[in-house]
Amino acid sequence: MSSKFQYDLVALVIFALVVAFGVPAVMNYDGFELNTFARYLALAIVSMALSLSWGTAGLLNLGQAATFGMGSYAMAMHLKLRASDGLPDFMGWNNVETLPWLWVPFESLTFTLLAGLLVPAFIGGLIAIFMFRARIAGVFVAIITLAFLVAFQLLFINQQGLTGGQNGLTGLAQMSLFGWTVDPYSMGFYNLVAGCLVVALAFGVYLTHSKFGLILRAIREDADRARFFGYNVASYQTLVFCISAALAGWAGMLYTLVLEFASPTYMSVSFSLAIVIWCAVGGRESVIAAAFGAIVVNMLEGRLSDVFVEGWHLILGVIFVLVVMFMPRGIYGLLSDSVRKIRRIRRTRDQRGVETFPNT
Amino acid sequence: MDVIANQLFAGLSMASILLMIALGLAIIYGAMGVINLAHGEFVMLGAYATWALQTYAGIGILPALPLVFISVAAVGWIVEKVVVQNLYHRPLDTILATWGIGIILQQAVRLGVGAESRFVKGPALLSGNTEIGPLIMSNYRLFVIVFSMAVLAATWVLMTRTEFGMKLRAVIQNRAISECYGIEAKRVYSITFAYGAGLAGIAGALITPLFSTIPTMGTGLVVDAFLVVIVGGLGSLIGSAAASVLIGEATAIFSIVINDTLGRIAVLAGIILLIRFRPRGLFPTETRR
Amino acid sequence: MEQLQVTDLQVEFGGLRAVDGLSFSVQEGEILCLLGPNGAGKSTTLDLICGKTQPTDGSIQLNGVEISQMLEFRRARLGIGRKFQVPSVYKNLTVDENLSVARSRRPGMWNALTRLSLTDAREAASILDRVNLGAKRHEMAGNLSHGETQWLEIAMLIAQDSKLILMDEPTAGMTIQETERTAEIFRSLSDNHTLIVVEHDMSFVRTVADRIIVMNRGAMLAEGTIEEIEANEDVKTAYLGH
Repeated sequence: MSSKFQYDLVALVIFALVVAFGVPAVMNYDGFELNTFARYLALAIVSMALSLSWGTAGLLNLGQAATFGMGSYAMAMHLKLRASDGLPDFMGWNNVETLPWLWVPFESLTFTLLAGLLVPAFIGGLIAIFMFRARIAGVFVAIITLAFLVAFQLLFINQQGLTGGQNGLTGLAQMSLFGWTVDPYSMGFYNLVAGCLVVALAFGVYLTHSKFGLILRAIREDADRARFFGYNVASYQTLVFCISAALAGWAGMLYTLVLEFASPTYMSVSFSLAIVIWCAVGGRESVIAAAFGAIVVNMLEGRLSDVFVEGWHLILGVIFVLVVMFMPRGIYGLLSDSVRKIRRIRRTRDQRGVETFPNT
Repeated sequence: MDVIANQLFAGLSMASILLMIALGLAIIYGAMGVINLAHGEFVMLGAYATWALQTYAGIGILPALPLVFISVAAVGWIVEKVVVQNLYHRPLDTILATWGIGIILQQAVRLGVGAESRFVKGPALLSGNTEIGPLIMSNYRLFVIVFSMAVLAATWVLMTRTEFGMKLRAVIQNRAISECYGIEAKRVYSITFAYGAGLAGIAGALITPLFSTIPTMGTGLVVDAFLVVIVGGLGSLIGSAAASVLIGEATAIFSIVINDTLGRIAVLAGIILLIRFRPRGLFPTETRR
Repeated sequence: MEQLQVTDLQVEFGGLRAVDGLSFSVQEGEILCLLGPNGAGKSTTLDLICGKTQPTDGSIQLNGVEISQMLEFRRARLGIGRKFQVPSVYKNLTVDENLSVARSRRPGMWNALTRLSLTDAREAASILDRVNLGAKRHEMAGNLSHGETQWLEIAMLIAQDSKLILMDEPTAGMTIQETERTAEIFRSLSDNHTLIVVEHDMSFVRTVADRIIVMNRGAMLAEGTIEEIEANEDVKTAYLGH
């Protein structure tokens, strides 16, 4: 086990403890505050999902919001059906008379949960195959995914009878999981979201330290070299795209539960940019740092946007440009650089002090 | 028949605007490999500068053009100096940084001027229409078409017939060797970026009578302009001109055959397919890689 | 047995025939050296065999299987390894991680998902000692000296364990001692590997080569043992001009 892996495991445990016990205590177990923080935790999942494709594999997916939105709408469709007798209200307003076939299976929670993971993974996979079989890389991945996002959102809003259009899906029921009605302002719900985040992070930490993660880093650095070692680069890239999309969908489902509605703004370019910002601020190389970045930026936004109602986006833009220019590896980069420096100092001191131990 | 003719004219008018936006984008991309996502905001700045000059100083669009060019070019020059120049070896980060700059410019205008739509009067000299049979062409749009062709010609001369153009092409070919021959690549880049931004500013000024001037106006335009650059082939001026006509007309025809939204989706799908299958554009410049 | 059979191989870059009607074969366990002046098409030949470049015409067969149209990674899986002229290792990975990437006996994703990143490196750890990099296992490959980088790439090829290894100027930038050590390693590799080596260092070629092919202008000029090549008049002309 490498030392980096050990550091990450320790960080994960600390992170899990703080999120599970520290935060609720600081929040005084207040329902409203817990709901707000649960929102940050859900967003942390989509941020760590981006770090897998961007940080590990070097594939900047600017369309992450699309897969997030798919998960969010999958959940919202289920809850909307549970809230309405037969046909959801907005369909009536749009002259839709029978429940569209696309909606029918969302009566089932099991199907919904699966669809919220698998539909984004499938769509993400299709785009990935389309790009990576042709060896599209670098900035072109960013442009294609961005164009896809814009087209997808336009199409989504355009299909008003099916999706609720610009208004999104509102008036949702509460989810009931094995007979437990999920109240988004309860401690139980907070624990659910926190648990999901910790599981996602554990999975992410494992993935980045597995040989799969190593090969992705190798591909990021020199895809051709990896091909000459026999790795099917396109399929590695496709799988990480699928995993990242599935995690984004998962985050989207939780986000709908937190806010109790789904809106097409979840699929907007600015939301996708926000995800990139969180991930960049925290540090794209580490899933934990990316999740941390999402939480920090959103907490800042929560506190500061009260003060600078109008100016918040300006501040965010400035922060982002500064991070890209001077802290390209984010908070994580600062930390790991200083850890490396301390180790080097300690090593030189050790070598000077104890000359009799050559191999350490 | 006359519907089609008029729609073709509308397409040509659209193409002329796209061409001016795309020229700046193409020069910046072709010369430095920088995908400038703040380009749409340069267009927006040009439009607001025109509005400000007209509202506060009573200067009409046409006399405002040189002022707008210089001021937006200055903004571009500062952006290049402060941000882009430090990121040439990190292309992905350039995308992100210029995106962030776009947000900053957009929000700054929103805070400073307000989010509501601003109105700019077209020049009185060019009001009215020219009619040829059933074809009705607004004089102003005709002027924009002619003007854009003039800008294209001027840019072509600048790139191929001047010392600056020669230096720029040298830097594009091989930066290190050009520097050995005493060409200051940094300066060449700054000027190129400023010139591209200035062109975007002019485009913004010219569209004020045709579009509503709002802080987000650039975002939609830059997507189409980017498509023009991709279709035209990177750094090819003639390719960009041909591509802007192609896309302007295609958009005009799409919008009567199917609706606007689906038309836009089709344009986006076009971008995606082109990057996938012809990443070097439909009219690539022949170079050995 | 013939491991590699190249027949009438041809490739064109914009009108220039870099390789023009080249045919040769390589026996299992043999060390074949490719010689020739600059631009003779030696590196291009290696590119064609490993799949970096697609031939315009001709065939390449590995153990009787036609590979000239295959993707690079499939050829690698069939047992072709390549060392590049400019040493290409992953500079942002540690030496251990580089080795682990190279150790690709099971390059599939399932295997990659169920293993930790350094498991494979540990299996291959002894290779690093062989090339004197044992002490630098945790060092970033970007911090190695030029010679060490060459060694690392050679170590990576040993870890990859391909049946046919293509080496492009493996001793460039090495000291005499290092070159000798490389020759030793190559000789020991040839027990169960086949090597095609592009090299300019004649003393190195003399030590390792079983057979030599001299190329000129994309075609074969001469073929034979070192003594035969050194006595060949055509070769002298090609190298010295008229």
